[in-house]
Amino acid sequence: MINPKRLSLPLSRESVQALKAGDLVELSGEIVMTAGIPTHHRIIDYLRQGKPLPIDMTGGSLLHLGGLNQEGPDGKASVAYLNPTTSTRFNRFMPEIIRGLDLRVTGGKGGLDAECAAAMRATGCVYLSFLGGGCTLLSNALREVTTVAWPDLLIHYRLVKVRVESLGPATVGIDAHGNSLYGVGEARAHERLPSILKQLEEDRAAANSLVQRDL
Amino acid sequence: MPVTYELLRSVSADLYNRSLRKIPAETMAVLRKLELSESNPVARNTLAVMQASAQAAESKGFFVCSDAGVPVYSVKIGSRVQFEGPVKQAFVDGFADLVATIQPPLLQHVTNPLTLERGHSGKDMPIVTYDVIDNADYVEITCSPKALGSGRWAALEIFSFPSLAEIERYIMDVVIKAGAQHCPPVVIGVGIGGTFDYAAKIAKEAILRPHGTKNPEPILADMEARLCKAVNATGFGPMGTGGDSTAMAVHINYASGHGFTPVAVCFNCWINRRRSARIYNSGVVEQFE
Repeated sequence: MINPKRLSLPLSRESVQALKAGDLVELSGEIVMTAGIPTHHRIIDYLRQGKPLPIDMTGGSLLHLGGLNQEGPDGKASVAYLNPTTSTRFNRFMPEIIRGLDLRVTGGKGGLDAECAAAMRATGCVYLSFLGGGCTLLSNALREVTTVAWPDLLIHYRLVKVRVESLGPATVGIDAHGNSLYGVGEARAHERLPSILKQLEEDRAAANSLVQRDL
Repeated sequence: MPVTYELLRSVSADLYNRSLRKIPAETMAVLRKLELSESNPVARNTLAVMQASAQAAESKGFFVCSDAGVPVYSVKIGSRVQFEGPVKQAFVDGFADLVATIQPPLLQHVTNPLTLERGHSGKDMPIVTYDVIDNADYVEITCSPKALGSGRWAALEIFSFPSLAEIERYIMDVVIKAGAQHCPPVVIGVGIGGTFDYAAKIAKEAILRPHGTKNPEPILADMEARLCKAVNATGFGPMGTGGDSTAMAVHINYASGHGFTPVAVCFNCWINRRRSARIYNSGVVEQFE
């Protein structure tokens, strides 16, 4: 396996600029995570009203990771597990959040759209792709839960700040220069489609399975 | 001896629990094979991390994914099976038992689509479909939990007297729309023909077919091979960050129908969760992947 670049949070704008789409990284330090649409609505409400968020993420990280946080008998919060969730369902919120919080790092799985990538380019922010189905490995990185905010929300929607050590590996899916593996991938697939369809046609003919439907 | 409510209740819960902690051995073998043939170094690394993640989950008895999805069961009832007690209620109660006892606890994913409220129970949950196996003296249950990641991208369209070219074009359009989203490399299930509901049902059956089994219909065996190659030519790659490995397999079922031909396409993410059991009239339970 490739050795990932070890990053200590919070990241400076310069260190974010040095990352390129396709780099492998792992994170140590404090991250903030949520997996909820209502959470994104609420963050935007707070930003628009100029209200301070219960967790200050300015210049920090907000990751689309879903996890089980719970309170122990001693009243201390813990996170039993975490794992990325599909980020694209937050596309409509993220440009305003990335700009409003001047984020350096966001991530999850599945990427974000071009408008988000433009916001990331403006602030100096990267999108990290974590392994879907990486629950056991990623949860090994959990060290401490610092804050669980908005406990009125569903468990995995809450805004949770945790300290992690070597969370990853994650792939830089979108870098701070506007390069997106997702944008490239989508364009590449569309570009290749005509030749893929042509190949399918040739393969159908070769397999002699072309059914004449003279109906 | 009959197949009892108690046994259905405990076995259905156990299948769900186990499906969350171990990916099928054959799926691991496909990931290994793809890792060896993958030309993109980052994609190769992702495929290796996938296997490491699945192995870690199995050895620790922990979840592979935090999203346990919702419980989905396919139940095939042997025509010689005798039941004692309610059958449908056994699945409802089995899921409630699991929610109450499973460690670590499950997140609340059961969603009311009208209010978007989420919890651990809801109307028609678990989702169970029933079928019959003539002359068998067992009930065969397959649990294949479904979550948003790959569940979101399934699609169905109805055509009128389509050519194979049109059907394949539609499948490719669905694949390209799903793009990087469904935690590839995926297994793709396709159902062609029948009716609206039946095409989806046979697509789901196709996706559960063990890897490496040959389609008995020669036209479909050829179609599966060329479509798998076509999907992998898109270049989305593992977790959608680029590479040659977007599909582990394409599995296709068909049913005869009328001149309208539904084509249903569905996806299983790389962890390909499923766990099955046969419960015999004798009370013997056999579990398998």
